[in-house]
Formats: sequence, structure tokens, C-alpha cells
Amino acid sequence: MADTASISSKTPVTVLTGYLGAGKTTLLNRILSENHGQKYAVIVNEFGEIGIDNDLIVGADEEVFEMNNGCVCCTVRGDLIRILQGLMRRKGKFDAIIVETTGLADPGPVAQTFFVDEDVKAKTYLDSVTALVDAKHFKSALDADRVVKEQIAFADQVILNKTDLVTPEELNEVEARIRGLNPLATIQRAERSGVDIKSLLNQHRFDLSKMDGIANHDDHGPDCADDCGHDYHYDHSHHHHDHNPAHGEAGHVHDEHCGHDHHHHDHGHAHDHGHINPIHDNEIRSVSLSSDKPLDGVRFTKWIDQLLAAKGPDILRAKGIIDVAGEDKRLVFQAVHMILEGELQAPWKDSENRFSRAVFIGRHLDEVALRAGFEACIKV
Amino acid sequence: MTFAVQKDYGAYVVSSLFDAADEAIVALSDGRVVFVDVDMSFDAHPGAGILCAVAHPTGVGIVTGGDDGRVVWTTKDSQPIELLNIKGAWFDSVAVNAEAMLLAAASGKKVYIYDLAKKGESKIFEHPNSVSGLVFDPKGRKLYCASYNGAYVWFSRIHPQKPQLLKWAGSHTGIAISPDGKFVVTSMQENALHGWRLSDSKDMRMGGYPTKIKSIDFFAKGKLLATSGANGAVVWPFLKANGPMGEEASEINADESSMVTVVAGAPEDTVLAAGLDDGRVWVAELQSTGIEYIQREKGSPITALAVSGDAARILFGNEDGGVWLFESTH
Repeated sequence: MADTASISSKTPVTVLTGYLGAGKTTLLNRILSENHGQKYAVIVNEFGEIGIDNDLIVGADEEVFEMNNGCVCCTVRGDLIRILQGLMRRKGKFDAIIVETTGLADPGPVAQTFFVDEDVKAKTYLDSVTALVDAKHFKSALDADRVVKEQIAFADQVILNKTDLVTPEELNEVEARIRGLNPLATIQRAERSGVDIKSLLNQHRFDLSKMDGIANHDDHGPDCADDCGHDYHYDHSHHHHDHNPAHGEAGHVHDEHCGHDHHHHDHGHAHDHGHINPIHDNEIRSVSLSSDKPLDGVRFTKWIDQLLAAKGPDILRAKGIIDVAGEDKRLVFQAVHMILEGELQAPWKDSENRFSRAVFIGRHLDEVALRAGFEACIKV
Repeated sequence: MTFAVQKDYGAYVVSSLFDAADEAIVALSDGRVVFVDVDMSFDAHPGAGILCAVAHPTGVGIVTGGDDGRVVWTTKDSQPIELLNIKGAWFDSVAVNAEAMLLAAASGKKVYIYDLAKKGESKIFEHPNSVSGLVFDPKGRKLYCASYNGAYVWFSRIHPQKPQLLKWAGSHTGIAISPDGKFVVTSMQENALHGWRLSDSKDMRMGGYPTKIKSIDFFAKGKLLATSGANGAVVWPFLKANGPMGEEASEINADESSMVTVVAGAPEDTVLAAGLDDGRVWVAELQSTGIEYIQREKGSPITALAVSGDAARILFGNEDGGVWLFESTH
């Protein structure tokens, strides 16, 4: 799926998650009614909530199936497979597909559907998982249902909605909690789901050929696509993906908890995510590992395979770029639970500092064990 | 190769079939039904898409299920006739039985049974999971519904009732019954078929496929079952009382450069046609082992294929809307 030529002929699918009352229906109504030059097919979980009559709204049953392949967390959405197959026969009637999940749904099965089913994979690609968060009721939702945390931890972009209903301090705290759950997601603030519709798309967050963002991802900030269109109150450089990834972390493997104050390093890019420090969760967290020494390709592959086989149910998302010893191209990978995709991508440039970085988001991650496993892959 | 008809309709060909009058008919994803011999087109599902189709049980015309919640009967001589109209439904599977004059159409977890003799009366069979394949037994007494974790078996005319479940873990996506009514076979989300001998519900595992199986067809008087899902067409023997149990499948005309996407056999003869993912189509006479490519030109994947009752005509279409009608000169 990393072949950009083939991706352009596939239809992008955005998965929209978010707890009850987060504003999904408002956003979908906007997507369907506003004139933004794009036509969307929308797969909703409940007919009737959408107030617009449109022949490209499809009701889904949210049926989660287990695959008979021995993978314990390998669940897919059977209804989605059938609906997508039907929709793809009407190619040309719409530009992209949006899948709404119920407020209580785990985003895992819907995301996995795009990697497990060969027909779905042949005709569509998962562009991003986008989570809506109600700033006002975030804390009570967190207390009520752990799925809120999972939706955020799983997301590529978070729309922090209803910002007008809370004080700036409350808003910062919510954003800090979101960052604590998911350092990779882009965070966009919005009132009444008022985000730029076009910016929701073309994220390519599962596309291995476009995963360079992870390299420059600031440990305490979001990883954003070039056209993510979010509205930060600080100067946001859209060119930072071209920059050298150096974090000044020469010679040792560390993660965000290693005690360095990364924000005092010269990042080589203009924006500063440090205005809001993440508030960490004790169940779901992320571990970011990096090294400027090349890794042994065979050992790393074995390690990540074994790690996902053993801990896959708890690992929600993983992404990484690896400098493999003796290999001119960078190894790029991404995983959803146990489903791992990896391949060699663009060659390292001579002017580039080679590095390896892997980020894991999941439940009860054993940081010490993860770091030890990663370090053991360093080529000696 | 010259074709009796060769035409580009510009929309994914969902289904192709011959009705009892040997009328060649295709159903297109943009809601049209086309009578290919006379190039007569009807907008059966205006502004919507056709998801499935079968020949009408009278033998005349085609019944289509759409994403507009409608099931429609279209003949060459009249405007499309609406049989079912359920708001919000998405009919992606339809089956008929000529003897009982029944029609079944599935949308999500619901299966609507429509009695063509007593027009307007429809019953609903509810399932715990979505149904994605339907087939009646030869007499139309029972309806088999492929679903999650097996196939549900209903008496067609009894309502209400509790269905029997032919159990097998996993998602069953397609279904076929042997013409003698002794075996039911499903295609699965995994790359496998599953079968049941109905006399004792004995399971038959039929695996070993490299890809998902989207097309299954009993042919040659029900003695053979052909499927897609491999480089060649896979043929399972149903020659003995045990069906394919203990028997091996044969792979016909395996070509490593392509995959078979759709198969269709002649109802009475050992003639088998296969459409490939590279646009080619071949026909084999299995007893003489003669294989002929009736479409050599490569193109978009073949999505629909039908062999006429006398095996003299073959109708096929592809993802881009190309439709070809081949007539044998033998």
C-alpha cells in the first residue's frame, strides 16, 4: 500500500470516532451539506441522526467478526467489508468515504478491516482515524468509559471540540491529557465541529511512504501532516519535515521520560509544542524509542514480530523508521495491534543524519522491557 | 475473436445471466438493467446502485436488489416492477425459487421473503448477524442464509419460527446448494469453502485457496462444483453419496499470471467458463480437456459471467462496464 501510484487510484477512507455527544453528527451534517467541492459517501451507525437526505449515506450494523486465523485480536467489521465492496462498484460517484463509529466503539476492528480484507485493501486505503473530543465533558466521559481513552490513543488526529464551553485553563488541561495519551496525533481545536473539512482528508497516516513525520515528531507534541490545517496559536512551520531529525540525542537511546528537557534542544524547526505539557495516564501511554546507531535488521524484525505477537492486544498503534545496518534505504513500519506493515522506503541522503525511532501507544506498556528489547537490536 | 455483442456500458457489471427465454441480461452498478441482444436498457434503480441479481422465477426477466432499498423485476416488455421497497435497506443478496414462486432478499440482519403468488405479502426472518448469501433448496421448502458462524436454515413458508443453525466458526459470505438438495457449500471470509452434508449436518472443510472465493457454481447436472479464488478454476467432484469427502479438487487451466475471479458452468454439461482478474475469459470442455480463450485481450477484472442453458452462449462483463456476448459456432 505504500506504492503512491496505486494509492492514488484507491479511495481514501476516514474513520470518525468520538464518545457520545462529542459532535460527530454535527460534523457529518456539515460534511454533507457544505459546499467544499468534494463528494463523500458516509457510512453511519445509526440512520436518522443525520438530518440530510443523501443517497450516499449508508447505514451499518457495526458487526465485529473474529477472523479464523489464530490472531487473537484480529477482529474486523464484516458489515463494512460488504458495504465498501458495494460502494466501490460505484466509483466516481464520490471522492472519499467517511466511516462513523458509535460512541462506544473500539476503533481497532474498523481500522484492521483495511489491512485484513484483501478486497477492501485493493480498492480503498485507510487515510486516518480521527477522534472528536468534547472539551466540556471530557473528564466525565473519561471516568464513565475507558473507550474514550482508547479512541484518543488510537487516533491520528483529534478534534478538540466545544472549546467555547470551557475556560482556556480547562482547555489546556484537556489538551494536555490528550497529548499524554497520544503524542503522535495532531490536535485541532474547534467550536461546533467547525474544522476545515478538506483538512480532515489526505492525511495518509497509514501510508508507509509518507511516514517521515514520525522522524521529526517532537516527543511532547503532535506529528502533523503538511496540510493538517490546524490552528495553533504559535508559529507553525510547514517545512519541518524536510529538516534534519536531530534532537541532539547523540549516542544514547531514550524516550520522553528520560529526563531531558527536549525543548531546550535546537530542534531546527520553528514551532514549539511545549506550551502544553502532556498529562500522562496510568493505563494508556506511549513509549518513544530512538537511537542514532544502526540496528541489526534481522534482530529488529524478530523483536518486533515477537513483541506484537505477545503484546499485540495491548499495543494500539506503533510507528517507526529504522536505520538498518548495511541498508541504504530506511525501514518504515506501522502496526495496528498485531497487524504489522513494514517496508524499505526512500534511501537515506548523504546529508542526512541516520537514526532509528519507534513509537508505541498502548495499555500497560513496559517501558523498561521495550527499551531493552530495542537496544538489544543495535548492531554491535 | 468476434463477438455477437461487444459494448461498453461505463459502469461496473454486477451480474450477467440468461433467463429461460435465453435472453442475455446484465445488471450494472449505476442501476441499469440491459437486455444485451437488443441493446435495450432500463433504469431499474434510478440514481442508485444494483448490488445483486437473479433470473426471475417465472424464467422471464431479471430481479435486482439495490442500495436504494428496492427489489425490482425487469422484463424486456414492460417497465421495471417494484417488488420490495424498504427505506434504508441495502439489498446485497437475492434468491428465488421457481417451484414455490418465492423470492428472498437480504439486507443486514433481515431477510425478506416475498411470495410472488400472493403479491404484496412479505415475511421477515431476523438473524443475530448480517446475512450475505441466500439460497433456496430445489423445492423452495427451505431457505439457507449464510451468516456469521454458519448458515441459518428456515422453512420458507412458516412464520414465526426458530431457525436451525448449521454451525461453523467464521464469517460465511456466499452460499450454494447442490441441485439434488443434498449439500450446502459456503464461501468464507477466510480463503476457504465450508460444506455440510444435509442428511446428517456433517462438516466438509474445503480449503487450500490462495485468495478469497467470490464465485461458486454447481454445474454438469450438479456433479461438479466450480469456484474462483485460485490461478485456475477449482472443481470439486460431487459424484458420490459423500460428495467431495475424501476426494481431491482439480485446478483447471492454472495460469500463474492471473487469478480466476468468476466461474460459470453449463447446467447440464461439463462445460466450464472462467473470468480472470486480467480481463481474459476461457471456456473448457472438461471431458475433452479442450480449453479455448474466448477473450484473449487483457483488461479490467471480469466481474460477471454466465453460460446459457444450452452452453452455446457466454455472457461476461468487467469492472469498467465492458460487456461481451460470445456465441459458439460449434
